[in-house]
Amino acid sequence: MRRSNIWLWSAAALAYAFLYIPLIIVVVYSFNDSKLNAEWVGFTLSWYVALFNNQEMLTAARNSLTIAVSASFCATILGTMAGLAIHRYKLKFLPVLVFTPVAMPEILLGVALLLFFLQVLNLTLGMISIIIAHTTFCIGFVAIIVRARLQGMDESIFEAARDLGASPWQTFRLITLPLIMPAVVAGALMSFTLSIDDFVITFFTKGVGEPILPIQIYTMIKVAVTPEVNAISTLLMLLTLTMIIIAAKLDSGVLRREAK
Amino acid sequence: MNPPGRSTALLALLLSVLLLAGCSSQEQNATTSGENVLHLFNWNNYIAPATVKRFEQSCNCRLSQDYYADNEEMLAKLAAGASGYDLIVPTGNAMDTLIRQGVLKQLDKSLLPNLKNINPAYLNSAFDPGNKYSVPYAYTLTLLGFNQEKVKELGLPTDTWAIIFEPKYLEKIKGRVTVLDSQRELMAAALKYLGYSVNDADEQHWQQARDLILRAKPYWAAFSNTSYVKELAVGNLWVAHGYSNDMFQAALDARKTGRKFGIGYSTPKEGAVLALDSIVLHQSGTRPDLAHQFINFMLAGKNSAELTNLTGAGNPNMDAIQFIQPEIADNKAIFPDRELLARLEMLQDFDRKQRRLLSRLWTEIKLRNL
Amino acid sequence: MIKGNTKANRTAKWLVSGPPLLFLLVFFVAPSLIMLFTSLRLPGEFGGLAPIAAPAEAVHGEYGLTLETYQFFFSDILYAEIFLKSFAVAAASTLICLIMAYPLALLIARSEKRFRNLMVLLVVLPFASNFLIRIYAWMIILGPESVFSHFINAFLGAFGIAPVTLLFSPFAVLVGMVYVHLPFMVLPLYTNLEKHDPALLDAAQDLGANAWQRFWRVTWPLSLPGVFSGAALVFIPVLGMFAVPDILGGTGDILIGNLIKDQFLGTRDWPFGSTLSIMLTLAVLAITGLAAWFARPATIAER
Repeated sequence: MRRSNIWLWSAAALAYAFLYIPLIIVVVYSFNDSKLNAEWVGFTLSWYVALFNNQEMLTAARNSLTIAVSASFCATILGTMAGLAIHRYKLKFLPVLVFTPVAMPEILLGVALLLFFLQVLNLTLGMISIIIAHTTFCIGFVAIIVRARLQGMDESIFEAARDLGASPWQTFRLITLPLIMPAVVAGALMSFTLSIDDFVITFFTKGVGEPILPIQIYTMIKVAVTPEVNAISTLLMLLTLTMIIIAAKLDSGVLRREAK
Repeated sequence: MNPPGRSTALLALLLSVLLLAGCSSQEQNATTSGENVLHLFNWNNYIAPATVKRFEQSCNCRLSQDYYADNEEMLAKLAAGASGYDLIVPTGNAMDTLIRQGVLKQLDKSLLPNLKNINPAYLNSAFDPGNKYSVPYAYTLTLLGFNQEKVKELGLPTDTWAIIFEPKYLEKIKGRVTVLDSQRELMAAALKYLGYSVNDADEQHWQQARDLILRAKPYWAAFSNTSYVKELAVGNLWVAHGYSNDMFQAALDARKTGRKFGIGYSTPKEGAVLALDSIVLHQSGTRPDLAHQFINFMLAGKNSAELTNLTGAGNPNMDAIQFIQPEIADNKAIFPDRELLARLEMLQDFDRKQRRLLSRLWTEIKLRNL
Repeated sequence: MIKGNTKANRTAKWLVSGPPLLFLLVFFVAPSLIMLFTSLRLPGEFGGLAPIAAPAEAVHGEYGLTLETYQFFFSDILYAEIFLKSFAVAAASTLICLIMAYPLALLIARSEKRFRNLMVLLVVLPFASNFLIRIYAWMIILGPESVFSHFINAFLGAFGIAPVTLLFSPFAVLVGMVYVHLPFMVLPLYTNLEKHDPALLDAAQDLGANAWQRFWRVTWPLSLPGVFSGAALVFIPVLGMFAVPDILGGTGDILIGNLIKDQFLGTRDWPFGSTLSIMLTLAVLAITGLAAWFARPATIAER
């Protein structure tokens, strides 16, 4: 038993190292005083300074934030509805529609939406098209999380509420929503992360004139890699980390209560 | 009531974040709509930041730039409905496509007094006779860049495409060579090496070129459009097929970081692709006034020279020569002499059937090995 | 009362399922149909699409609707090869992910309860960094002048093996694919393994099974549903991925994703790009069907 544990621990430690070493390197090099990410020269904060003077990058960050917030907002509402509907009613069509975009390679959704926006809607690609695209693939993730939560719950609560004469809306507002709230929040956070991270679908549905963070980063990687890329990614990691910690703090209260 | 309290607080937090972000975006929209903005769709690194700043001051407007790394990419983006650009800087063949598509606005030459500065040799190209739509901006050559020390050490020729196609040379630099990730450019180099025109559409010649490329491919490190600049400067790459202005950049970077080697570049004797980039007005632009102002501004010798001094792009502007650093003005790879000029060719666009066939050939090149 | 209630229920049903249904019909089903339609058209002379001509105006029998792109697809074995290659890369990535993720998921599932959430969080946390950054990190690590490359080549040199370039190679593509998708494998595995009843393993031990037998006869069969969902979550995205080969790949590392991207953003051949996308969709459907079929014995084993 003990020996197998050692094997397990070392294999897991390797996996964790594999996950973290690349990111540590990115962070470390963001303080490297050399334009070329090749050897360590000396400590500097100049890449962060450069970043905060890079108007385009700041606009890109703001655009991406706007997109992520709007898309996760829409996806959370629609996805929660979808999750509820799939759990509550025996629907045939909706589950397929909700889960397929999650299961498909992203590029397919990107291509389909690009053609659709241009040919049918005649929409000028831009923020709106990206928000719609992100909402489309985030709905499924929210729905999965919400449904998983519902599946783990005792149906009798809802029946009791109904027996006591609560209307569906009352049941939802007073019983269901508070109970699924952790899942809704988790779904919202997940959508936010997915949206701000998404490159492929953004790549196909983006317009011109509005810089978007992942596209900006892609251009920097492909064209001129400076440690500014490292700096922006370090900051992005910090942002997401903070969000996760806040969520965990708030959520742990919810979890503890549940354990009782 | 306590249990849902926490989650409600979390939701409220999330909502406030949403609202905040919503507000800030609205704010931003309000400021941009009242601003004078000129939208320029340009090559990466194809204008000096100092020039941009001076222009923004002189016009009291903001220059918003979007970039592309390949003409095909630019055309594809436009075909995919990208719009809102006042100005684009396409290369000849791409400009030809744009003109035939009818998506360009004619120039109002009365607003461009500085047009007289352009060397007549670069006016009246086959793509736009009479320059109704276009003003030459700058040009680049597709050529060979190399690590001077390594090439000397290994005794390799630098004036021929053979260095990227012939296994007898490639053996010595295996994994240290990149070629452009561009169907047209790589085919052009191969066709030139085989003695054909870069615009040759004969399928048999294409197949010869494909075989040449496939034979050389195992020795190449990658197809690279941009990263070779850095890799040459760091010393990871010894030979690269690329654009003259990128090689200029790599040489500069190597010098600035104090490398023990220099980066040289030269035009192969078999001939190469000359890409004359012109500045044109796209019909989706909303500010032709600012656009003309910008073109005339860029036609002034000093502003135009700044581009060459910064990027090493060739300059068709006669008034600019006096402002260009002498070591650039004397560089034959940037300012080709008449004899070399005769061996340079501009790319012409293929039709859709040829494009699809070329794309298949390209897929084959990427996928297969001999 | 009861009747009113069911009517209210029906209204509720539509109120709840209507909006997401409508949204997805418009922004998912319609675009997919448009993609199918586009694959039947001709490319425009300058990109985009050729207009659909009335029969009388058709030039050389080209009506604007055609199966030409499908013929083109099947006219050359090349495109089948590229699909096969993408499948091979996806399969290899999935396998490596599984081998790396399994011990990790098992360890987390067998840890004390209070550590589990933290350990899972540590797996998900790298996702807090941007997708492209995670790929970019490997550009630094695998670069020819990096410490890692020097180490590997010194190691190979000791055995008299010629130095290798790590970046821009199929190896780099695999590393990137695995790195980007590893958490997708860990999470379903962990969710599954966590539910296992430790009493089963105790029982097996009492019956004299050694560690390996306990794993192979008890844990592994029970975890198969987790393995299959993890495999699907890795395999399918890898199949369509273009960014990883684009950034880390060398001269031969082109996958379906890159080819599709090229048709839209390079060659300006939308119909052929759509055809390739349709083919990829069919491939994914086939894989999903196959996975579901394979997962069947697992459910029997679970009973």
